Parts: sequence; C-alpha cells; structure tokens
Amino acid sequence: MEEYDAVVVGAGPAGTTFAAEAASRGMSVVVIDKKKELGSPVRCGEGIGIDFSSGRKLELPRSCIASDIEGALMFSPNGKSIKLTTPQTKGHVLERKIFDKFLAMEAGRKGAHILPRTMATGLLKENGKIAGVKAVSFGEEIEFKAPLVVSAEGMEAKLAREAGIDALATLYDVDTCYEYEMVNVPCEPFIEIYFGSAAPRGYVWVFPKGKDVANVGIGVGGSSGADPKKCLDEWIARNPRMKKAEIIEVKAGIISVGAPVKKMVADNFMAVGTSAHQVDPVHGGGIALAMKAARIAAEVAAKAHSARDFSEKTLSAYETQWRAAESRKLEKRLLLRKVLEKLSDDDFNAVIGMIDSQDLEKLLSGDFKPIVTKVVAKRPSILKVATALLG
Amino acid sequence: MAVRVDGSKCVYCAGCVSVCPFLALTLNEVKIIVDEKKCTECGTCVKACPAKALSLPKKISG
Ligand SMILES: Cc1cc2nc3c(=O)[nH]c(=O)nc-3n(C[C@H](O)[C@H](O)[C@H](O)COP(=O)(O)OP(=O)(O)OC[C@H]3O[C@@H](n4cnc5c(N)ncnc54)[C@H](O)[C@@H]3O)c2cc1C
Ligand code: SF4
Ligand code: SF4
Repeated sequence: MEEYDAVVVGAGPAGTTFAAEAASRGMSVVVIDKKKELGSPVRCGEGIGIDFSSGRKLELPRSCIASDIEGALMFSPNGKSIKLTTPQTKGHVLERKIFDKFLAMEAGRKGAHILPRTMATGLLKENGKIAGVKAVSFGEEIEFKAPLVVSAEGMEAKLAREAGIDALATLYDVDTCYEYEMVNVPCEPFIEIYFGSAAPRGYVWVFPKGKDVANVGIGVGGSSGADPKKCLDEWIARNPRMKKAEIIEVKAGIISVGAPVKKMVADNFMAVGTSAHQVDPVHGGGIALAMKAARIAAEVAAKAHSARDFSEKTLSAYETQWRAAESRKLEKRLLLRKVLEKLSDDDFNAVIGMIDSQDLEKLLSGDFKPIVTKVVAKRPSILKVATALLG
Repeated sequence: MAVRVDGSKCVYCAGCVSVCPFLALTLNEVKIIVDEKKCTECGTCVKACPAKALSLPKKISG
C-alpha cells in the first residue's frame, strides 16, 4: 500500500494538469494510467484554440504543435463555404502523443509521482467512505490510500460512476468517431468542417497537421445508427482531393456532446475533464476545458488539504467556480447542437448560402437572434427547428 | 452469453466501455474484457462501437 494526499486516475490533460498544480501547492500526488505509453493511442482530432491555457503561462515546446491554424472553413453539403478568421478560430493542431507526455513531464517536474501501466479497478473504502483506489500495477495488485480521489478517466469514467457521479454516456448524447491521419492531403492552414447527411448528426473534419498531412475524421450521432467508418470511407472516396491520400494512423473514440454531469464532486472525490462531460456539445472539443477545470479543481483541493477537510461541501467550491465560468456558454452550445442536428442538407445549403462570416461568428458565440431572424425571413420552414434558439 | 468482440476490428478506443450501463466492459491496454456475469446483452455498446467490432450472439430460436 502507498499513501498520498491525492490519487489521480488518468494521465490525460485533465489528470496531469491537476497533478502539476496540486503538487506545486505542496500536495503529494500520484497519477496512474493504464496506458503503457501516455498519450497513445490518440483518440482525438488534436485541434485546440489559441487561448487554451486561459491566460496562464504554459510554454508549449514546438514539438507538441503539428501546425498553426489561421481560421476555420465551414462547408455546406453542396460545397459552399464560409471562412472564419476570428480569434476563437485561431489555434493549433497538436501532436497529442507528445503534448500529453509533455504535460506528464511538467507534472513530474513539479513533484507528482507518475505510474503508467497501472489500472484502477475500484474505489478503496474505509467505514463506507472513499479512502483511495484499488489498482493493478504492472500485473501486481496494489492499493493507493488517499483522502482525495480524482477521476480524470475521460469518457470511460468507471470510478466516477462507482462514486455516484452520473457519468454514464448515453447514445443520444455522444458522437461516435472514426479518424485517419493521412498524407498526400493538400492543406491550407485552416480547419475544415463539413456538415450534412455525409455525417448524420455530426460532421466530417479535416484538421491539417502540415502542408500535406491532416487528421481526416468523422463523428456521427451515437443514436443515428450510422457507421462512422463507412461514412468516412465513402466521403474520402467521393472527394477528388483525397485521391492520393494514404492512411498513416487510425484513431477512434466516442465523445460526449451532451450536458456536463449533474454533480462533479462527492465526499473525498472529484471528477475533472471529459470524465465530468466537460466537452463542447457542438464540436466535441474537450482538451482546453479539461485543463481549465483541472486548474480550478487543484486550487480547491489544495485548500481542502490545508483544512484537512475533503467533504463534498468543501470540494463543491470547484464545481461552483467551474459552472460560473463555463455553464452558460456550454448550455447555449448544447441548444445550438440540438438545432443543427435537425437541419436537412437543403437547410444547410440554404443557411450557408445566405449568411456571412459575421453572422456565423455571432451564431457560434451564442448570439442567435439576428441570424435566426435573417434565415427565417428567407426560409420560413426553418422556424420550427430554430425557435428553440429564440427562447 | 455476452457481447462478442472481434479483436481484428477493435481499435482500442474504449467507446464501448463508456456507454455500457452495467460496467461489464474493461479496456486493458489492447484488449476488451467482457464480464459475462454483468453483460445483459442490451446492445448499447454494439451501437456505439465506431469500428463495428461488437456483436450480440445470435438467439437460437425454437
Ligand atoms: C475522435 C475524437 C476527436 C476529438 N477531437 C478533439 C479536438 O480536436 N480537440 C479537442 O479539444 N478535443 C477533442 N476531443 C476530445 C478530447 O480528446 C478529450 O476531451 C480530452 O482528451 C479530455 O482529456 P481528459 O484528460 O479529460 O481525458 P483523456 O484524455 O481521455 O484521458 C483519460 C485517461 O484516463 C485513463 N484511464 C481511464 N480509466 C482508467 C482506469 N480505470 N485506470 C487507469 N487509467 C484510466 C485513460 O487511459 C486515459 O489516458 C476528441 C475526442 C474524440 C473521441
Ligand atoms: S451488451 Fe449491454 S451490458 Fe453487454 S457489454 Fe454491451 S452495453 Fe454492456
Ligand atoms: S468501442 Fe469497439 S473499437 Fe472501441 S474499444 Fe470497444 S470494441 Fe474496440
């Protein structure tokens, strides 16, 4: 048995960011991950906004960044596009295998203990209270005793569910995704998003990692019944630009596009990042949200540590602060997702045909009224699905 | 009986683990382990799997 102030399950961006921040505040922390190589396999499009460190200083080594992105192109099914070059659409396509390892190194440098190939198998309880984690480390059963368990488990969230957090993903609120990293894909420094029935209830993305390398992926609604690999293969086959494209890596995964979990803490327990479904419901991005939540959580955990009080009441300061920062924005994004998923190909063609980049910018920032009014005036049939945005 | 995994299609994405309401699945690095005692053959994971690597055993009729 090993004893720590906190045991963190999962060494993705949420877990390692938490560990670095908690360790630099004087806590003894262990991060365990079942992977033998942190960051691999990748289950991600690797796109991230330029403001991902939300103002904090985090100098990323250039090796973590595959490419710089100047904006976004949104395509309708008939091939029309709108270009966005707002600050929100600038960013990077990461090399997540290196990025995740870099964050783990930062945690290690701050004094956190890191243990790969170590899988949490259940919660350790004492007198009915959470008191650590049971695990299998390099084939040996082991117990990590700690007054605080942090679930940074990503979508699997099995420990979080055991702790009573409603982190079970339902089919309606997930996208199921298939992705290739490909070479011989001519690219500009813009992420590309393709809407419509090619990707039922989701979208196809092309995220450039270089001049001729890109992540080409698809997410389809979990309850759409669509086969994401088949849809992606068909989209690639139809696309003359992809004629010479060759697959370098296969990536896949499912991602929450619903609401965050209802409760993110319990006595002696916190859920951070995608484990708590802290993901953008429109595009399924969760790296930056996970890191931001982890910083808030670590700050609260350090206070709880000084007070020797890891009760749900004390830890809930994390949830309150997180919701104050993110809830409103994410609720609007969920509303928008639920409207987008009802649009037909004709609707997408019509909408993208009649709006400009300023309209789209407003729509994405949650200012729905002007664009709904504009679109409905020209295409009244959309009113029925779009009224939700006017509420 | 329980859900079946086609190891030659699985891409180790853990999607099935995330949606199983009965915590019957575990991804151990590169292998999905099915807890046959927990699996109710509800089929949720079969729908979620992006690689179509899961299937339910065929019901023997009659
Ligand atoms: C196909 C796809 C494309 C995506 N594209 C983007 C994108 O372009 N941009 C973006 O921002 N986000 C994207 N996302 C979402 C993003 O990948 C996640 O939101 C992000 O990785 C969340 O970080 P995290 O630290 O919370 O969890 P993860 O990165 O998922 O890390 C969780 C870790 O916990 C470990 N773990 C789980 N259970 C256990 C256990 N019992 N014991 C030990 N270890 C365990 C796992 O091995 C894993 O390493 C995408 C997701 C998918 C599926
Ligand atoms: S069929 Fe249902 S119970 Fe069985 S593993 Fe899949 S999701 Fe779980
Ligand atoms: S969802 Fe499918 S591909 Fe992903 S781990 Fe499960 S069986 Fe394998």
